[in-house]
Amino acid sequence: MTYIKRFNAFHRILHIIVAVSFIGLVASGMPLRYSYAPWAAWIMRLLGGYENAGIVHRVCAIVTFGYFIVHILYVLYHIVIVRKLRFKIFGPESLVPRLKDFVDIYKSFKWFLGKGPRPEFDRWTYWEKFDYLAVFWGVGMIGVSGLILWFPEFFGRFFPGWIFNITTIVHSDEALLAAGFIFTIHFFNTHLRPEKFPMDTVIFTGRLTLEELKNERPLEYKRLTEEKRLEEYIVPEPKGWVFGSGVIFGFSVIFIGLSLLVLIILGQFFY
Amino acid sequence: MGLRILLSILFIISLTQLSYALSKDDCFSCHGQKGTPLFLDSALYEESSHGKFTCNRCHLDIIGYPHGKASKVNCGICHFLGTEGAPKEKAQEYKLSVHNRALRAGNTMAPDCQACHGSHYIFPSKDERSETKRQKIPSLCSKCHFNEYEVYKKGIHGKEFLDKKNTGAAACFDCHMEHKIPGVEEEGWKLSLIKECGNCHSAELDTYRRTFHGKVTKLGYITVAKCSDCHGSHNILPVSDRDSTLSGERILDTCMKCHPKATVGFTKYFAHAEEHNRAKYPLLYYTYLFMTLLLLGVFAFFFTHTALWAYRSLMERIRKRSE
Repeated sequence: MTYIKRFNAFHRILHIIVAVSFIGLVASGMPLRYSYAPWAAWIMRLLGGYENAGIVHRVCAIVTFGYFIVHILYVLYHIVIVRKLRFKIFGPESLVPRLKDFVDIYKSFKWFLGKGPRPEFDRWTYWEKFDYLAVFWGVGMIGVSGLILWFPEFFGRFFPGWIFNITTIVHSDEALLAAGFIFTIHFFNTHLRPEKFPMDTVIFTGRLTLEELKNERPLEYKRLTEEKRLEEYIVPEPKGWVFGSGVIFGFSVIFIGLSLLVLIILGQFFY
Repeated sequence: MGLRILLSILFIISLTQLSYALSKDDCFSCHGQKGTPLFLDSALYEESSHGKFTCNRCHLDIIGYPHGKASKVNCGICHFLGTEGAPKEKAQEYKLSVHNRALRAGNTMAPDCQACHGSHYIFPSKDERSETKRQKIPSLCSKCHFNEYEVYKKGIHGKEFLDKKNTGAAACFDCHMEHKIPGVEEEGWKLSLIKECGNCHSAELDTYRRTFHGKVTKLGYITVAKCSDCHGSHNILPVSDRDSTLSGERILDTCMKCHPKATVGFTKYFAHAEEHNRAKYPLLYYTYLFMTLLLLGVFAFFFTHTALWAYRSLMERIRKRSE
């Protein structure tokens, strides 16, 4: 089978760091949001008490700020230094939304309802772009509000104290949005939908098969063929240990994520 | 030899017979005389909760006349063990209280049952004649805790209770838990006190629970602000009062107990936030409204998208299989 490279080592490692720190943040933060739920005190004890959970939360927050900054530097490095003028900001390789994405959304809904063919995608689908860009919004909103709550005495020198009430609401609700989105929509779109069930390993191995490329990203396939660049992307089959550890990691994160989702749903609607 | 044993047995039997034979009237024939030492109002005693019992029921060592000095009555014989249906919960709670622990540790000043309830005239706490009637509690406790009483008197609860005779206001035993009276450093008590305040101040408890402080204490950790950390304890006063720990002049010092680098701006935090209350907290309300709409919007769009997609994917699979 022919394998095509989709993600490099940087992308794959970054995704693992994002996943681990995100799980850490949700697990140590949600017991506070749902402090009235019986499971909340239980999770807190599991994490070694509220002070410990606070340390876990802050360490994961530092990791989050870290990968956020590293990622922006990586993007700038590639745009400015490596690709120079070859990278088009609204081009097919860019994650910036373009008109075609909105047309694709419209066509997708028609396809869902059986009133048209499935739209053809290039390197990034519109839901992948949303996943990616939502992290910027999320890290921005949760990160800034979280920093303010982390250092209240410092920020209290510049803002009136009710800023902590506002940031509490923003931090908590944005966290619910992020966790709810990742554990349902991201999990389904990329891993759990019938075509990919139970998991898409491309983010762990970095490769997809030529068949998958032709079926799911036909425009990218055509483009690479026409530009005679497809050869550049052909890679050997993923190593067994990479695939194996990717599957184990992926399943663990999906399992923990779905468990946390159950607790969140219980906390939100049943207590 | 046999005769001596027989006589001894008869003597012991006669003693027990004598003790059972000792009626209240026998005792009142001396103690019921006004002016005698240890005079007892027999009529009042008869009406008390224990009025139906003979004296010997409690004074186990008094089995006849004349008798020596009576030893201290141990209420626990009935009330700790629940003998013949005597209510035992309170005595068992008392056994674990700071009062009884101090007593057992040798502090003779610490109160036993009688110190609060009196001895002979025990009445239900609703009864006017009861020593432990709600109205009498602050002055009862003040017998030992006079400093606390002086502070309590000036606080809002004390003013209401003592000056305005509003016995709905908190008295000593509402917070210190009657017989349980835990040590003031006990974590469990500090946490349960929050609920205790909430029994009367339920709206405030509800809004407190929405804040970081209230959530952490709800999870069972005491290192963050509880009611009394901000409002004080015996000295609680309305925020509008200059002497309140939360008055304009004193609130910064109160916050700085936990947040040593706090500034005046910091004190503008709403420790009882209600994001649903538009009139009172418009900024919180509109933040909450915006966030709610954002969440509903994103989830509504993507759940519809996901549900329809799942449906289409399954249809495609079925179609491919049948082909």
